[in-house]
Amino acid sequence: MVSSTAFLAGEYIAVETYSLSVFYGETQAVKDVSLPIARNRVTALIGPSGCGKSTFLRCLNRLNDRIPGFRMEGRVRVLDVDPYGKQVDLIELRRRVGMVFQKPTPLPMSIYDNVAIGARSHYGLRGKKLDEVVEQALQRAALWDEVKDILKRPALQLSGGQQQRLCIARMLAVEPEVILMDEPCSALDPISTFRIEELMIDLAKDHTVIVVTHNMQQAARVSDYTAFFMYGELVEYDSSKQLFLSPRQKATEDYISGRFG
Amino acid sequence: MEGIGDSALVVARSLQSGRRLRRQLADKLFTGALSGIALFSVVAVLAIIGVIIVKGLPIISWSFLTSPPAEGMTAGGIYPMIRGSVLLMVGTLVIVLPVGILGGVFLAEYAGTNVFSRFIHASVASLAGTPSVIFGLFGLAVFVLMMKMGVSLLAGCLTLALFTLPAVVFTTENAIRSVPESFIEAGMALGLSRWQILWKIVLPNAIPGILTGVVLSTGRAAGEAPPILLTAGIYYATGALPRGWEILKQPVANLPYHLAEGYRQGGVIPEAIVWGTCLTLMLFVLSINIWAIIVRTRVRRRQRW
Repeated sequence: MVSSTAFLAGEYIAVETYSLSVFYGETQAVKDVSLPIARNRVTALIGPSGCGKSTFLRCLNRLNDRIPGFRMEGRVRVLDVDPYGKQVDLIELRRRVGMVFQKPTPLPMSIYDNVAIGARSHYGLRGKKLDEVVEQALQRAALWDEVKDILKRPALQLSGGQQQRLCIARMLAVEPEVILMDEPCSALDPISTFRIEELMIDLAKDHTVIVVTHNMQQAARVSDYTAFFMYGELVEYDSSKQLFLSPRQKATEDYISGRFG
Repeated sequence: MEGIGDSALVVARSLQSGRRLRRQLADKLFTGALSGIALFSVVAVLAIIGVIIVKGLPIISWSFLTSPPAEGMTAGGIYPMIRGSVLLMVGTLVIVLPVGILGGVFLAEYAGTNVFSRFIHASVASLAGTPSVIFGLFGLAVFVLMMKMGVSLLAGCLTLALFTLPAVVFTTENAIRSVPESFIEAGMALGLSRWQILWKIVLPNAIPGILTGVVLSTGRAAGEAPPILLTAGIYYATGALPRGWEILKQPVANLPYHLAEGYRQGGVIPEAIVWGTCLTLMLFVLSINIWAIIVRTRVRRRQRW
Protein backbone atom coordinates (compact mmCIF):
# COMPACT_ATOMS: atom_id res chain seq x y z
CA MET A 1 0.00 0.00 0.00
CA VAL A 2 1.08 3.51 -0.71
CA SER A 3 1.33 5.45 2.49
CA SER A 4 2.04 9.00 1.47
CA THR A 5 1.38 11.16 -1.53
CA ALA A 6 3.31 14.09 -0.11
CA PHE A 7 5.33 14.24 -3.34
CA LEU A 8 2.17 15.55 -5.05
CA ALA A 9 2.16 18.68 -2.89
CA GLY A 10 1.34 21.74 -4.95
CA GLU A 11 -0.24 19.75 -7.79
CA TYR A 12 -3.85 20.10 -8.80
CA ILE A 13 -5.45 16.65 -8.72
CA ALA A 14 -7.38 16.13 -11.97
CA VAL A 15 -8.23 12.45 -11.64
CA GLU A 16 -8.59 10.38 -8.51
CA THR A 17 -9.74 6.95 -7.42
CA TYR A 18 -10.71 5.98 -3.90
CA SER A 19 -10.46 2.29 -2.94
CA LEU A 20 -11.20 1.25 -6.51
CA SER A 21 -11.72 -2.48 -7.00
CA VAL A 22 -12.65 -4.08 -10.32
CA PHE A 23 -13.95 -7.58 -10.90
CA TYR A 24 -14.42 -9.58 -14.08
CA GLY A 25 -16.81 -12.26 -12.90
CA GLU A 26 -14.96 -14.02 -10.08
CA THR A 27 -11.54 -12.56 -10.85
CA GLN A 28 -10.47 -9.38 -9.19
CA ALA A 29 -8.39 -7.30 -11.60
CA VAL A 30 -7.88 -4.18 -9.49
CA LYS A 31 -7.63 -4.30 -5.69
CA ASP A 32 -8.45 -1.32 -3.53
CA VAL A 33 -6.47 1.25 -5.49
CA SER A 34 -6.46 4.87 -4.32
CA LEU A 35 -4.54 6.96 -6.81
CA PRO A 36 -4.56 10.73 -7.20
CA ILE A 37 -3.25 11.95 -10.56
CA ALA A 38 -1.81 15.43 -11.16
CA ARG A 39 -3.20 17.76 -13.80
CA ASN A 40 -1.08 18.61 -16.84
CA ARG A 41 1.58 16.07 -15.99
CA VAL A 42 2.50 12.71 -17.46
CA THR A 43 1.73 9.88 -15.06
CA ALA A 44 2.98 6.42 -16.01
CA LEU A 45 1.38 3.18 -14.88
CA ILE A 46 3.86 0.31 -14.97
CA GLY A 47 3.81 -3.31 -13.89
CA PRO A 48 3.86 -6.87 -15.23
CA SER A 49 1.21 -8.08 -17.69
CA GLY A 50 -2.15 -8.69 -16.10
CA CYS A 51 -1.42 -6.44 -13.15
CA GLY A 52 -4.59 -4.41 -13.70
CA LYS A 53 -3.10 -1.20 -15.05
CA SER A 54 -5.06 -1.28 -18.32
CA THR A 55 -8.23 -2.15 -16.43
CA PHE A 56 -7.58 0.80 -14.14
CA LEU A 57 -7.12 3.09 -17.13
CA ARG A 58 -10.33 1.92 -18.75
CA CYS A 59 -12.32 2.74 -15.62
CA LEU A 60 -11.56 6.40 -16.16
CA ASN A 61 -13.57 6.65 -19.40
CA ARG A 62 -15.80 3.62 -18.75
CA LEU A 63 -14.52 1.59 -21.63
CA ASN A 64 -14.94 -1.55 -19.53
CA ASP A 65 -18.70 -1.36 -19.85
CA ARG A 66 -18.97 -3.80 -22.73
CA ILE A 67 -16.95 -6.52 -21.02
CA PRO A 68 -19.26 -9.24 -19.67
CA GLY A 69 -19.04 -9.72 -15.91
CA PHE A 70 -17.48 -6.31 -15.26
CA ARG A 71 -18.20 -4.90 -11.81
CA MET A 72 -16.53 -2.15 -9.80
CA GLU A 73 -16.45 -0.97 -6.21
CA GLY A 74 -15.08 2.20 -4.72
CA ARG A 75 -15.20 5.66 -6.24
CA VAL A 76 -13.72 7.40 -9.23
CA ARG A 77 -13.47 11.11 -9.92
CA VAL A 78 -12.41 12.37 -13.34
CA LEU A 79 -12.18 16.18 -13.53
CA ASP A 80 -15.38 17.17 -11.77
CA VAL A 81 -17.49 14.12 -12.57
CA ASP A 82 -18.06 10.63 -11.25
CA PRO A 83 -17.96 8.41 -14.37
CA TYR A 84 -20.05 5.78 -12.60
CA GLY A 85 -22.53 8.26 -11.14
CA LYS A 86 -26.17 8.20 -12.16
CA GLN A 87 -26.09 11.71 -13.61
CA VAL A 88 -23.07 11.17 -15.83
CA ASP A 89 -23.17 12.21 -19.48
CA LEU A 90 -21.01 9.44 -20.93
CA ILE A 91 -20.65 11.11 -24.30
CA GLU A 92 -19.34 14.32 -22.77
CA LEU A 93 -17.13 12.37 -20.35
CA ARG A 94 -15.52 10.51 -23.23
CA ARG A 95 -15.07 13.72 -25.17
CA ARG A 96 -13.17 15.20 -22.21
CA VAL A 97 -11.21 11.98 -21.63
CA GLY A 98 -9.51 10.88 -24.84
CA MET A 99 -7.88 7.52 -25.36
CA VAL A 100 -5.09 6.07 -27.48
CA PHE A 101 -4.93 2.30 -27.79
CA GLN A 102 -2.09 -0.17 -27.95
CA LYS A 103 -2.79 -1.14 -31.53
CA PRO A 104 -3.36 1.87 -33.77
CA THR A 105 -7.08 1.85 -34.55
CA PRO A 106 -7.72 4.08 -37.54
CA LEU A 107 -11.27 3.59 -38.78
CA PRO A 108 -11.67 2.25 -42.31
CA MET A 109 -12.39 5.65 -43.83
CA SER A 110 -10.28 8.49 -45.20
CA ILE A 111 -7.56 10.22 -43.18
CA TYR A 112 -9.67 13.38 -43.14
CA ASP A 113 -12.82 11.60 -41.98
CA ASN A 114 -10.93 9.85 -39.20
CA VAL A 115 -10.02 13.18 -37.68
CA ALA A 116 -13.32 14.83 -38.55
CA ILE A 117 -15.71 12.20 -37.21
CA GLY A 118 -15.48 13.30 -33.57
CA ALA A 119 -15.46 17.06 -34.26
CA ARG A 120 -18.49 16.69 -36.52
CA SER A 121 -20.40 14.80 -33.90
CA HIS A 122 -19.52 16.93 -30.86
CA TYR A 123 -19.40 20.42 -32.35
CA GLY A 124 -21.50 19.97 -35.50
CA LEU A 125 -18.70 21.48 -37.55
CA ARG A 126 -18.87 21.56 -41.36
CA GLY A 127 -16.89 22.93 -44.30
CA LYS A 128 -14.08 25.41 -43.66
CA LYS A 129 -14.40 25.34 -39.86
CA LEU A 130 -14.05 21.57 -39.90
CA ASP A 131 -11.07 21.76 -42.26
CA GLU A 132 -9.36 24.08 -39.78
CA VAL A 133 -9.98 21.80 -36.83
CA VAL A 134 -8.69 18.80 -38.78
CA GLU A 135 -5.56 20.67 -39.80
CA GLN A 136 -4.88 21.91 -36.27
CA ALA A 137 -5.30 18.44 -34.81
CA LEU A 138 -2.98 16.93 -37.40
CA GLN A 139 -0.44 19.71 -36.80
CA ARG A 140 -0.51 19.10 -33.07
CA ALA A 141 -0.05 15.37 -33.63
CA ALA A 142 2.98 16.12 -35.86
CA LEU A 143 1.36 14.39 -38.82
CA TRP A 144 0.16 17.29 -40.98
CA ASP A 145 3.22 17.59 -43.21
CA GLU A 146 3.10 13.91 -44.06
CA VAL A 147 -0.60 13.71 -44.93
CA LYS A 148 -1.70 17.18 -46.06
CA ASP A 149 -1.73 16.11 -49.73
CA ILE A 150 -3.37 12.72 -49.20
CA LEU A 151 -6.22 13.56 -46.85
CA LYS A 152 -8.74 11.67 -48.97
CA ARG A 153 -6.77 8.44 -48.94
CA PRO A 154 -7.84 5.53 -46.71
CA ALA A 155 -6.24 5.85 -43.28
CA LEU A 156 -5.28 2.19 -43.37
CA GLN A 157 -2.65 2.93 -46.02
CA LEU A 158 -0.56 4.84 -43.48
CA SER A 159 2.35 3.21 -41.64
CA GLY A 160 1.86 2.00 -38.08
CA GLY A 161 3.54 5.04 -36.55
CA GLN A 162 1.54 7.41 -38.73
CA GLN A 163 -1.66 5.56 -37.84
CA GLN A 164 -0.95 6.03 -34.14
CA ARG A 165 -0.35 9.75 -34.62
CA LEU A 166 -3.58 9.87 -36.64
CA CYS A 167 -5.39 8.35 -33.69
CA ILE A 168 -3.86 11.02 -31.47
CA ALA A 169 -5.00 13.72 -33.91
CA ARG A 170 -8.48 12.20 -34.00
CA MET A 171 -8.62 12.39 -30.23
CA LEU A 172 -7.23 15.96 -30.10
CA ALA A 173 -9.90 17.14 -32.55
CA VAL A 174 -12.57 16.80 -29.85
CA GLU A 175 -10.44 18.81 -27.36
CA PRO A 176 -10.02 16.38 -24.47
CA GLU A 177 -8.63 17.48 -21.13
CA VAL A 178 -7.38 14.10 -19.99
CA ILE A 179 -5.52 11.73 -22.32
CA LEU A 180 -5.35 8.01 -21.58
CA MET A 181 -2.71 6.02 -23.43
CA ASP A 182 -2.72 2.25 -23.26
CA GLU A 183 0.76 1.10 -24.29
CA PRO A 184 0.70 3.50 -27.24
CA CYS A 185 4.14 2.52 -28.54
CA SER A 186 4.31 -1.21 -28.02
CA ALA A 187 3.40 -1.92 -31.67
CA LEU A 188 5.75 0.73 -33.08
CA ASP A 189 9.36 0.92 -34.24
CA PRO A 190 11.92 2.95 -32.22
CA ILE A 191 11.70 6.09 -34.37
CA SER A 192 7.90 6.19 -34.23
CA THR A 193 8.13 5.51 -30.51
CA PHE A 194 10.46 8.47 -30.07
CA ARG A 195 8.01 10.76 -31.90
CA ILE A 196 5.07 9.64 -29.76
CA GLU A 197 7.12 10.17 -26.61
CA GLU A 198 7.93 13.72 -27.71
CA LEU A 199 4.23 14.21 -28.34
CA MET A 200 3.35 13.01 -24.84
CA ILE A 201 5.65 15.56 -23.29
CA ASP A 202 4.25 18.29 -25.52
CA LEU A 203 0.64 17.30 -24.82
CA ALA A 204 1.23 17.37 -21.06
CA LYS A 205 1.64 21.16 -21.26
CA ASP A 206 -2.12 21.47 -21.39
CA HIS A 207 -3.43 17.93 -20.91
CA THR A 208 -3.38 15.42 -18.10
CA VAL A 209 -1.64 12.43 -19.64
CA ILE A 210 -1.91 8.96 -18.12
CA VAL A 211 0.12 6.31 -19.91
CA VAL A 212 0.26 2.56 -19.38
CA THR A 213 3.59 1.21 -20.52
CA HIS A 214 5.73 -1.90 -20.38
CA ASN A 215 8.75 0.08 -21.33
CA MET A 216 10.60 1.22 -18.19
CA GLN A 217 12.92 3.54 -20.11
CA GLN A 218 9.88 5.18 -21.63
CA ALA A 219 8.27 5.70 -18.25
CA ALA A 220 11.51 7.15 -16.90
CA ARG A 221 11.96 9.43 -19.94
CA VAL A 222 8.52 10.91 -20.30
CA SER A 223 6.68 10.72 -17.00
CA ASP A 224 6.61 13.03 -14.02
CA TYR A 225 5.02 10.46 -11.74
CA THR A 226 4.98 6.69 -11.86
CA ALA A 227 2.68 4.16 -10.24
CA PHE A 228 3.83 0.54 -10.01
CA PHE A 229 1.07 -2.10 -10.05
CA MET A 230 1.36 -5.79 -9.23
CA TYR A 231 -1.41 -8.42 -8.98
CA GLY A 232 -4.00 -5.65 -9.16
CA GLU A 233 -2.52 -3.73 -6.26
CA LEU A 234 -0.81 -0.39 -6.26
CA VAL A 235 2.62 -1.22 -4.85
CA GLU A 236 4.44 2.07 -5.10
CA TYR A 237 3.61 5.55 -6.31
CA ASP A 238 6.11 8.36 -6.44
CA SER A 239 7.78 10.93 -8.61
CA SER A 240 9.39 9.05 -11.48
CA LYS A 241 12.82 10.22 -10.45
CA GLN A 242 12.43 8.86 -6.94
CA LEU A 243 10.78 5.62 -8.06
CA PHE A 244 13.34 4.73 -10.71
CA LEU A 245 16.44 5.89 -8.83
CA SER A 246 15.65 4.70 -5.33
CA PRO A 247 12.51 2.61 -5.10
CA ARG A 248 11.26 2.03 -1.56
CA GLN A 249 9.73 -1.40 -2.15
CA LYS A 250 11.68 -4.57 -2.90
CA ALA A 251 9.11 -5.62 -5.56
CA THR A 252 9.49 -2.31 -7.37
CA GLU A 253 13.24 -2.61 -7.37
CA ASP A 254 13.08 -6.16 -8.70
CA TYR A 255 10.71 -5.14 -11.46
CA ILE A 256 12.50 -2.03 -12.68
CA SER A 257 15.85 -3.78 -12.62
CA GLY A 258 14.39 -6.43 -14.89
CA ARG A 259 14.41 -9.34 -12.48
CA PHE A 260 10.88 -10.34 -13.52
CA GLY A 261 7.92 -9.15 -15.57
CA MET B 1 29.43 -49.23 -21.90
CA GLU B 2 29.67 -47.30 -25.09
CA GLY B 3 28.79 -50.41 -27.12
CA ILE B 4 25.63 -51.07 -25.15
CA GLY B 5 24.57 -47.48 -25.48
CA ASP B 6 25.08 -47.62 -29.23
CA SER B 7 23.04 -50.77 -29.76
CA ALA B 8 20.22 -49.41 -27.61
CA LEU B 9 20.23 -46.36 -29.82
CA VAL B 10 20.07 -48.51 -32.97
CA VAL B 11 17.10 -50.44 -31.60
CA ALA B 12 15.36 -47.24 -30.62
CA ARG B 13 15.99 -45.77 -34.06
CA SER B 14 14.62 -48.79 -35.90
CA LEU B 15 11.52 -48.79 -33.67
CA GLN B 16 11.12 -45.15 -34.38
CA SER B 17 11.44 -45.56 -38.14
CA GLY B 18 8.81 -48.34 -38.05
CA ARG B 19 6.46 -46.02 -36.28
CA ARG B 20 7.25 -43.28 -38.75
CA LEU B 21 6.45 -45.56 -41.69
CA ARG B 22 3.10 -46.47 -40.17
CA ARG B 23 2.33 -42.84 -39.50
CA GLN B 24 3.18 -41.88 -43.07
CA LEU B 25 1.01 -44.68 -44.42
CA ALA B 26 -1.96 -43.63 -42.28
CA ASP B 27 -1.45 -40.07 -43.40
CA LYS B 28 -1.49 -41.10 -47.08
CA LEU B 29 -4.59 -43.27 -46.65
CA PHE B 30 -6.45 -40.49 -44.90
CA THR B 31 -5.48 -37.91 -47.51
CA GLY B 32 -6.56 -40.32 -50.24
CA ALA B 33 -9.93 -40.95 -48.61
CA LEU B 34 -10.55 -37.23 -48.17
CA SER B 35 -9.64 -36.50 -51.80
CA GLY B 36 -11.99 -39.27 -52.92
CA ILE B 37 -14.90 -37.79 -50.99
CA ALA B 38 -14.13 -34.32 -52.29
CA LEU B 39 -13.93 -35.66 -55.83
CA PHE B 40 -17.31 -37.39 -55.41
CA SER B 41 -19.04 -34.14 -54.50
CA VAL B 42 -17.45 -32.40 -57.46
CA VAL B 43 -18.57 -35.18 -59.79
CA ALA B 44 -22.12 -35.05 -58.39
CA VAL B 45 -22.39 -31.30 -58.96
CA LEU B 46 -20.89 -31.55 -62.45
CA ALA B 47 -23.27 -34.39 -63.35
CA ILE B 48 -26.36 -32.40 -62.34
CA ILE B 49 -25.21 -29.27 -64.13
CA GLY B 50 -24.09 -31.31 -67.14
CA VAL B 51 -27.44 -33.05 -67.61
CA ILE B 52 -29.36 -29.79 -67.32
CA ILE B 53 -27.09 -28.02 -69.78
CA VAL B 54 -27.13 -30.85 -72.30
CA LYS B 55 -30.92 -31.20 -72.18
CA GLY B 56 -31.79 -27.55 -71.78
CA LEU B 57 -29.32 -25.71 -73.97
CA PRO B 58 -30.73 -26.72 -77.40
CA ILE B 59 -34.00 -24.85 -76.86
CA ILE B 60 -32.52 -21.73 -75.26
CA SER B 61 -32.49 -18.83 -77.68
CA TRP B 62 -33.17 -15.11 -77.53
CA SER B 63 -36.77 -15.62 -78.60
CA PHE B 64 -37.27 -18.42 -76.02
CA LEU B 65 -36.28 -15.96 -73.30
CA THR B 66 -38.23 -12.99 -74.64
CA SER B 67 -41.50 -14.36 -75.99
CA PRO B 68 -44.58 -15.73 -74.20
CA PRO B 69 -45.74 -19.32 -74.51
CA ALA B 70 -47.79 -20.10 -77.58
CA GLU B 71 -50.16 -22.78 -78.88
CA GLY B 72 -51.54 -23.82 -75.48
CA MET B 73 -48.12 -23.91 -73.80
CA THR B 74 -46.73 -26.39 -76.30
CA ALA B 75 -44.52 -23.86 -78.03
CA GLY B 76 -43.11 -20.36 -77.64
CA GLY B 77 -40.94 -19.02 -74.81
CA ILE B 78 -40.97 -18.41 -71.09
CA TYR B 79 -40.69 -14.62 -70.89
CA PRO B 80 -43.64 -14.14 -68.46
CA MET B 81 -42.11 -16.66 -66.07
CA ILE B 82 -38.75 -14.87 -66.02
CA ARG B 83 -40.50 -11.55 -65.49
CA GLY B 84 -42.58 -13.03 -62.68
CA SER B 85 -39.51 -14.42 -60.93
CA VAL B 86 -37.77 -11.05 -61.13
CA LEU B 87 -40.85 -9.29 -59.73
CA LEU B 88 -41.08 -11.78 -56.87
CA MET B 89 -37.40 -11.27 -56.05
CA VAL B 90 -37.62 -7.49 -56.06
CA GLY B 91 -40.75 -7.47 -53.92
CA THR B 92 -39.24 -9.93 -51.47
CA LEU B 93 -36.10 -7.82 -51.12
CA VAL B 94 -38.09 -4.65 -50.52
CA ILE B 95 -39.90 -6.33 -47.64
CA VAL B 96 -37.16 -8.44 -46.12
CA LEU B 97 -34.27 -5.96 -46.25
CA PRO B 98 -35.49 -3.40 -43.71
CA VAL B 99 -37.15 -5.93 -41.42
CA GLY B 100 -34.30 -8.45 -41.49
CA ILE B 101 -31.48 -5.93 -41.14
CA LEU B 102 -33.20 -4.11 -38.27
CA GLY B 103 -33.81 -7.47 -36.61
CA GLY B 104 -30.15 -8.42 -36.97
CA VAL B 105 -29.01 -5.04 -35.63
CA PHE B 106 -31.33 -5.45 -32.67
CA LEU B 107 -30.03 -8.93 -31.87
CA ALA B 108 -26.38 -7.97 -32.23
CA GLU B 109 -26.36 -4.58 -30.53
CA TYR B 110 -29.41 -4.05 -28.39
CA ALA B 111 -30.85 -7.35 -27.22
CA GLY B 112 -28.02 -8.30 -24.88
CA THR B 113 -28.00 -11.86 -23.58
CA ASN B 114 -31.14 -12.24 -21.54
CA VAL B 115 -34.02 -14.70 -21.69
CA PHE B 116 -35.88 -12.50 -24.15
CA SER B 117 -33.04 -12.36 -26.67
CA ARG B 118 -32.46 -16.08 -26.34
CA PHE B 119 -36.14 -16.64 -27.04
CA ILE B 120 -35.94 -14.49 -30.18
CA HIS B 121 -32.82 -16.37 -31.25
CA ALA B 122 -34.49 -19.73 -30.81
CA SER B 123 -37.58 -18.55 -32.69
CA VAL B 124 -35.63 -17.21 -35.63
CA ALA B 125 -33.50 -20.34 -35.71
CA SER B 126 -36.51 -22.64 -35.83
CA LEU B 127 -38.02 -20.42 -38.51
CA ALA B 128 -34.82 -21.02 -40.49
CA GLY B 129 -35.25 -24.77 -40.17
CA THR B 130 -38.90 -24.81 -41.21
CA PRO B 131 -39.57 -26.57 -44.55
CA SER B 132 -40.51 -24.15 -47.28
CA VAL B 133 -43.85 -25.85 -47.91
CA ILE B 134 -44.96 -24.81 -44.41
CA PHE B 135 -44.31 -21.21 -45.38
CA GLY B 136 -46.42 -21.80 -48.47
CA LEU B 137 -49.34 -23.12 -46.41
CA PHE B 138 -48.95 -20.30 -43.89
CA GLY B 139 -49.00 -17.75 -46.71
CA LEU B 140 -52.10 -19.36 -48.16
CA ALA B 141 -53.89 -19.35 -44.81
CA VAL B 142 -52.86 -15.89 -43.61
CA PHE B 143 -52.06 -13.67 -46.58
CA VAL B 144 -54.24 -15.21 -49.29
CA LEU B 145 -57.33 -16.18 -47.30
CA MET B 146 -57.39 -14.41 -43.95
CA MET B 147 -56.09 -11.06 -45.17
CA LYS B 148 -57.96 -11.53 -48.43
CA MET B 149 -55.05 -10.75 -50.71
CA GLY B 150 -55.94 -13.63 -52.95
CA VAL B 151 -53.33 -15.53 -54.90
CA SER B 152 -51.20 -12.54 -55.82
CA LEU B 153 -47.72 -11.11 -56.25
CA LEU B 154 -48.04 -9.37 -52.88
CA ALA B 155 -48.96 -12.55 -51.02
CA GLY B 156 -46.08 -14.37 -52.73
CA CYS B 157 -43.57 -11.67 -51.85
CA LEU B 158 -44.70 -11.63 -48.22
CA THR B 159 -44.41 -15.42 -48.02
CA LEU B 160 -40.96 -15.41 -49.60
CA ALA B 161 -39.92 -12.55 -47.30
CA LEU B 162 -40.89 -14.65 -44.28
CA PHE B 163 -38.99 -17.57 -45.77
CA THR B 164 -35.79 -15.54 -46.19
CA LEU B 165 -36.15 -13.51 -42.99
CA PRO B 166 -34.16 -15.83 -40.69
CA ALA B 167 -31.20 -15.94 -43.06
CA VAL B 168 -31.16 -12.16 -43.38
CA VAL B 169 -31.47 -11.65 -39.62
CA PHE B 170 -28.66 -14.09 -38.85
CA THR B 171 -26.26 -12.90 -41.55
CA THR B 172 -26.80 -9.32 -40.42
CA GLU B 173 -26.19 -10.29 -36.81
CA ASN B 174 -23.02 -12.20 -37.71
CA ALA B 175 -21.74 -9.45 -39.98
CA ILE B 176 -22.23 -6.91 -37.20
CA ARG B 177 -20.61 -9.13 -34.60
CA SER B 178 -17.58 -9.63 -36.83
CA VAL B 179 -16.84 -5.89 -36.98
CA PRO B 180 -13.65 -5.63 -34.90
CA GLU B 181 -14.22 -4.61 -31.28
CA SER B 182 -11.35 -2.15 -31.68
CA PHE B 183 -13.44 -0.03 -34.11
CA ILE B 184 -16.31 0.11 -31.65
CA GLU B 185 -13.99 0.98 -28.78
CA ALA B 186 -12.38 3.69 -30.87
CA GLY B 187 -15.83 5.18 -31.44
CA MET B 188 -16.73 4.90 -27.77
CA ALA B 189 -13.47 6.53 -26.70
CA LEU B 190 -14.23 9.46 -29.00
CA GLY B 191 -17.55 9.98 -27.27
CA LEU B 192 -19.73 8.94 -30.20
CA SER B 193 -23.23 7.85 -29.28
CA ARG B 194 -24.35 4.28 -29.70
CA TRP B 195 -26.44 5.33 -32.69
CA GLN B 196 -23.50 7.12 -34.33
CA ILE B 197 -21.23 4.14 -33.76
CA LEU B 198 -23.85 1.92 -35.36
CA TRP B 199 -24.41 4.13 -38.40
CA LYS B 200 -20.94 5.48 -39.03
CA ILE B 201 -18.72 2.60 -37.96
CA VAL B 202 -20.53 -0.70 -37.53
CA LEU B 203 -22.98 -0.78 -40.44
CA PRO B 204 -20.59 0.49 -43.15
CA ASN B 205 -18.19 -2.28 -42.14
CA ALA B 206 -20.86 -4.93 -41.94
CA ILE B 207 -22.42 -4.11 -45.32
CA PRO B 208 -20.39 -6.58 -47.43
CA GLY B 209 -21.35 -9.44 -45.14
CA ILE B 210 -24.99 -8.36 -44.97
CA LEU B 211 -25.26 -7.94 -48.74
CA THR B 212 -23.77 -11.33 -49.44
CA GLY B 213 -26.09 -13.04 -47.00
CA VAL B 214 -29.16 -11.23 -48.28
CA VAL B 215 -28.50 -11.89 -51.92
CA LEU B 216 -27.55 -15.53 -51.40
CA SER B 217 -30.70 -16.23 -49.41
CA THR B 218 -32.99 -14.41 -51.82
CA GLY B 219 -31.24 -16.27 -54.61
CA ARG B 220 -32.18 -19.50 -52.94
CA ALA B 221 -35.71 -18.26 -52.39
CA ALA B 222 -35.98 -17.41 -56.08
CA GLY B 223 -35.66 -21.10 -56.88
CA GLU B 224 -38.15 -22.31 -54.26
CA ALA B 225 -41.49 -23.54 -55.60
CA PRO B 226 -43.49 -24.42 -52.46
CA PRO B 227 -43.82 -20.92 -50.97
CA ILE B 228 -45.29 -19.43 -54.14
CA LEU B 229 -47.16 -22.49 -55.39
CA LEU B 230 -50.26 -21.63 -53.38
CA THR B 231 -49.74 -17.90 -52.85
CA ALA B 232 -48.59 -16.25 -56.06
CA GLY B 233 -48.23 -18.71 -58.88
CA ILE B 234 -50.35 -19.00 -61.94
CA TYR B 235 -50.05 -21.52 -64.70
CA TYR B 236 -50.22 -19.03 -67.47
CA ALA B 237 -50.43 -15.28 -67.74
CA THR B 238 -50.82 -13.30 -70.89
CA GLY B 239 -47.98 -11.06 -71.96
CA ALA B 240 -49.45 -7.83 -70.66
CA LEU B 241 -49.21 -6.86 -66.99
CA PRO B 242 -51.57 -4.44 -65.24
CA ARG B 243 -50.14 -0.99 -64.59
CA GLY B 244 -49.17 0.55 -61.26
CA TRP B 245 -49.96 -1.03 -57.91
CA GLU B 246 -52.60 -3.25 -59.53
CA ILE B 247 -49.72 -5.55 -60.37
CA LEU B 248 -49.44 -6.53 -56.70
CA LYS B 249 -52.96 -7.94 -56.68
CA GLN B 250 -52.40 -10.23 -59.65
CA PRO B 251 -50.90 -13.71 -59.56
CA VAL B 252 -47.72 -14.06 -61.58
CA ALA B 253 -46.31 -16.88 -63.63
CA ASN B 254 -42.75 -17.64 -62.57
CA LEU B 255 -39.93 -20.09 -63.19
CA PRO B 256 -40.21 -22.54 -60.26
CA TYR B 257 -43.99 -22.67 -60.62
CA HIS B 258 -43.66 -23.35 -64.31
CA LEU B 259 -41.30 -26.21 -63.60
CA ALA B 260 -43.53 -27.75 -60.95
CA GLU B 261 -46.58 -27.43 -63.14
CA GLY B 262 -44.65 -28.62 -66.14
CA TYR B 263 -44.39 -32.01 -64.51
CA ARG B 264 -47.76 -32.02 -62.81
CA GLN B 265 -49.67 -31.35 -66.00
CA GLY B 266 -48.13 -34.54 -67.33
CA GLY B 267 -46.87 -33.89 -70.79
CA VAL B 268 -48.76 -30.78 -71.85
CA ILE B 269 -45.57 -28.78 -71.74
CA PRO B 270 -43.01 -30.41 -74.03
CA GLU B 271 -39.99 -31.83 -72.25
CA ALA B 272 -37.61 -29.58 -74.13
CA ILE B 273 -39.34 -26.48 -72.75
CA VAL B 274 -39.22 -27.87 -69.20
CA TRP B 275 -35.48 -28.51 -69.50
CA GLY B 276 -35.00 -25.06 -70.95
CA THR B 277 -36.92 -23.58 -68.02
CA CYS B 278 -34.77 -25.63 -65.69
CA LEU B 279 -31.56 -24.28 -67.18
CA THR B 280 -32.94 -20.73 -67.17
CA LEU B 281 -33.84 -21.00 -63.48
CA MET B 282 -30.38 -22.32 -62.69
CA LEU B 283 -28.71 -19.48 -64.57
CA PHE B 284 -31.07 -17.00 -62.89
CA VAL B 285 -30.03 -18.13 -59.41
CA LEU B 286 -26.39 -18.40 -60.48
CA SER B 287 -26.37 -14.85 -61.84
CA ILE B 288 -27.79 -13.56 -58.56
CA ASN B 289 -25.02 -15.33 -56.65
CA ILE B 290 -22.33 -14.06 -59.00
CA TRP B 291 -23.69 -10.56 -58.57
CA ALA B 292 -23.43 -11.00 -54.80
CA ILE B 293 -19.81 -12.07 -55.06
CA ILE B 294 -18.92 -9.13 -57.32
CA VAL B 295 -20.56 -6.61 -55.01
CA ARG B 296 -18.85 -8.09 -52.00
CA THR B 297 -15.36 -8.06 -53.49
CA ARG B 298 -15.89 -4.50 -54.74
CA VAL B 299 -16.92 -3.24 -51.30
CA ARG B 300 -14.20 -5.29 -49.58
CA ARG B 301 -11.52 -3.85 -51.80
CA ARG B 302 -12.58 -0.34 -50.87
CA GLN B 303 -12.33 -1.03 -47.13
CA ARG B 304 -9.64 -3.46 -46.17
CA TRP B 305 -8.73 -4.20 -42.58
